[in-house]
Amino acid sequence: MANDRTDLMQGTLELLILNTLARESMHGYGIVQRIHEAAEDLLKVEDGSLYPALYRMEERGWIKAEWGVSENNRRAKFYKLTRTGQKQLEAERANWSRISKAVTKILQAT
Amino acid sequence: MMKIANLLKRANRNQAAFEVEDELQFHLEMLERKYIQQGMSPAQAKSAALRRFGNLERVKKQCVAISNRNTRLRRILKASAILVALIGLSISIGGSDYKVARIGHLLIMIAIAGRLLLYVRGLSPSTLLSVSREESLSVINGTPHKTARN
Repeated sequence: MANDRTDLMQGTLELLILNTLARESMHGYGIVQRIHEAAEDLLKVEDGSLYPALYRMEERGWIKAEWGVSENNRRAKFYKLTRTGQKQLEAERANWSRISKAVTKILQAT
Repeated sequence: MMKIANLLKRANRNQAAFEVEDELQFHLEMLERKYIQQGMSPAQAKSAALRRFGNLERVKKQCVAISNRNTRLRRILKASAILVALIGLSISIGGSDYKVARIGHLLIMIAIAGRLLLYVRGLSPSTLLSVSREESLSVINGTPHKTARN
């Protein structure tokens, strides 16, 4: 099963994070868990790679971070989507759809 | 004066590093908890968590760098807004005729609007200045890839 896991394409981690946060605010660990669960462990995502992406996204104003208390009563940083992030998610979804369609067409043509 | 500024700068950096460390530590603790629940010994769980997390030191450095960059930009923008407001104020007070005073009022309004924009959710300094569009490092699967963001 481990060999069937695929590397995440460049730029898609941000789309996955935005999509995950569209439902509810979450801490970094929760986001990674949700991505792994949704992908049924088919994607290779190193947990640590999430954090620089989260910090960059916060810098761009797509997400907002706030310290809170986790489910096990520990101080944790929670991220939530901003209005700019919501717009970015829509744009990235549309972009992904275009790429996906284009690649499928090319594969079918050859 | 410079010493105070340096101390404040160092304190801000330490604060950013502390917050990043705390956040990453929480992640590792959660992973360890999960592995222990799955039947691993605490030592096994700790090394499994570190393995799954990837390069902890590199991630920490990247996050602190981004965090500091954002704080610095925010400070520059805040200082600029104050400066514009002060110039506007001095023009509106010292302006002899109505037209000059109006320029002062306009500058004050621009400064207030700029300051408010910094508070509005989703408008970070980098969004306003579009400086985060430079090439950034994206760590995927432990390998740094150059990502041209635009």
